[in-house]
Amino acid sequence: MTRVEEQLQKSFQSDELDSDHQLGNIIDVQGADDRAGVYSIGAVAKMVDVPAQTLRSWEDRYALIVPVRSPAGQRLYTRDHVEELRFVRDHIQSGLQPADAHRLLAERRRARAADVDETAAGGRRDGLLDESPLAILLAERDPYAAEFAEYFLRTEGYVTTIVLNGDDVTRVLAGNRPDLLVIDLMISGGAGLALCRAVRAADQLPILAVSAIASGDAALEAGADAFLQKPVQPLQFVSTVRDLLGTSAFLRRTASVR
Amino acid sequence: MSDRLSSGSSRLDSILGGGLPLNVITLLSGRPGTGKTILAQQYVFHNATSAQPALYLTTVSEPLDKLLRFGQSLEYFDNSALGDRVFYEDLGQVLTEDGLPGVLARISQLLKQRRPGLIVIDSFKALRAYEEDDAAFRTFLHHLAGMVTAMPVSSFWVGEYDGEQTAQAPEFAVADAIITLGTDRTAEREMRILQVQKLRGSGYHAGKHTYRLAAEGLDVFPRLADPVDASNYGGAQELMSSGVPALDGMLVDGYWRGAATVIAGPSGIGKTLLALHFVVAGAERGEKGLIATFQENPVQLERIMGGFSWTQNDPNIELMYRSPVDLYLDEWVHDFFDTLARTGARRVAIDSLGDLRAACGDELRFREYIYSLLQRCARANISVMMTQEVPELFGVTKLSEYGISHLSDNVILLQFLRGDSELKRAVTVLKTRGSAHLQQLRQYEITPDGAVLGEPFDSQQSLD
Repeated sequence: MTRVEEQLQKSFQSDELDSDHQLGNIIDVQGADDRAGVYSIGAVAKMVDVPAQTLRSWEDRYALIVPVRSPAGQRLYTRDHVEELRFVRDHIQSGLQPADAHRLLAERRRARAADVDETAAGGRRDGLLDESPLAILLAERDPYAAEFAEYFLRTEGYVTTIVLNGDDVTRVLAGNRPDLLVIDLMISGGAGLALCRAVRAADQLPILAVSAIASGDAALEAGADAFLQKPVQPLQFVSTVRDLLGTSAFLRRTASVR
Repeated sequence: MSDRLSSGSSRLDSILGGGLPLNVITLLSGRPGTGKTILAQQYVFHNATSAQPALYLTTVSEPLDKLLRFGQSLEYFDNSALGDRVFYEDLGQVLTEDGLPGVLARISQLLKQRRPGLIVIDSFKALRAYEEDDAAFRTFLHHLAGMVTAMPVSSFWVGEYDGEQTAQAPEFAVADAIITLGTDRTAEREMRILQVQKLRGSGYHAGKHTYRLAAEGLDVFPRLADPVDASNYGGAQELMSSGVPALDGMLVDGYWRGAATVIAGPSGIGKTLLALHFVVAGAERGEKGLIATFQENPVQLERIMGGFSWTQNDPNIELMYRSPVDLYLDEWVHDFFDTLARTGARRVAIDSLGDLRAACGDELRFREYIYSLLQRCARANISVMMTQEVPELFGVTKLSEYGISHLSDNVILLQFLRGDSELKRAVTVLKTRGSAHLQQLRQYEITPDGAVLGEPFDSQQSLD
């Protein structure tokens, strides 16, 4: 392996991203650790539709939703923070003062903590802990395309398994059925269409076909639910997956918390 | 959505068969000062959006601040785009510390974070120095090309390569499109030349296209080369009066609308006058006319025309004066066609062919230009009259008109003849296409009404 390849593999394995784009790795997602700092203040401001300045002033004033700091001092919000901020925002929108919304949040936290204790003591299990993230099997010929697709799916909260040849698809499907299958039609020298047919004959799981060649008709005929031509726009890719699954993994999880 | 990437210049896009194909790797090659960076930034600012921003990555040849400072003077440079839809980043440090693997890792991150629609690496050539081994550099290229192909991103690799390297450097094999910028030197004149060397999956306009660097970016003039196209030609032909008595007298059947005519003759014989008369006569009948001249500036022209109670201020007449100094033939031709389209001119005087010839380095190219120009005019039924100077004052032995007479419908020779203590002016029609003409040498005179035909010469008239 050349020096270039080694470094490249390293960069693929761990994305040492800028502080404002820090993302949890696969392990974090699988472990459902929503306490890892992930989102920048700018990203959170967009996600919850509250200006960054307001987020900072709430942090100072109520000291309730306090992001962790990156080594460079950047604020990093967790998924839990995002969910709590949505809770606060919704209550303010329904007429509450920010201070009251934060009081409500503090109460909810206490109630949750009691719930968790109860669960630990052998009581009812919380939906959040029970919910496993949605799994996607990515059958992709091109390792670069696979790497980018995996990255964008992961940032949306999906757990992705990559296989680089067609034979592995049937093997993985037999072991652990994913929630959705992405197939590059050119995999294993063009075996993608046959693979679509075989999977569809045995299962109803959603299939998203992709190919560098415009072959949407053939893909749909072979049983795929959707087709995208490569190179695929990340947003379009992720939203197509989301549409096929009904909802994003992240939203599904936060929805189950409410 | 278009599957082409526009440069913001419709002429450049037309050379590239409608624009660069989307999501390909384009190599912009040329020596320092040829405008590579200007062209790359032109693509950046014309295509970047907040959803699909552009990344401009500098390596180690030019400090980023300098690039930005000079970039600001360009019209398309938009300060408000920086940090929103256009991101500049210096890869110099990554490159110094981690070499090419560091560059790959950084680009991989940037592709994920920013999801750019366009990514420029300037200078790409400088990267080669960071890998001793040719094989390792090829591996780097392979990974980089693999990465940018997997994402919907158009890449520009900018490098100061010279001719020899074009054939050898591996990045030229990896690139889908190659655009070179350079200069062509004839005598003491330098012309900027753009060439498309390669464009996968698309037709393009081959050959040398001249360009200028302007505040709005690269202003390119696609070389004129019309394929032989017989459509429309001769469709709406009609014979008419040229409006010039001296000419009508010689052309028995009349003048074909849309014909191309060369008026050859020595200095001072009245070539310009004949051509002007042709345009003015059209304007008097309500036909729009264009005078494309290098010889007389507007003041001089007004003086000449005033002598015949004509005026260039006639709303039916458009004057296109260009100095023959530092003239780009391609630029002139585009100007010419734009003016024709804008004014709807039906009659055109080009004064003179010699000035156009001087602006073109190569005689064969010149003939191709004139051929294309005349073909286009003929298809549009636009009559063209071109003047051509011959060196001999008396006894014209040959027309030094670069084979243009061959491409023209009519060739008219004006010459001086020695008479009884005075110079006489004589007109001969050497050629008419598709109609009859007088096979005579006729005297003509320049009167306040223009050029009028005089008496035939008698048998005593000396012909040299």
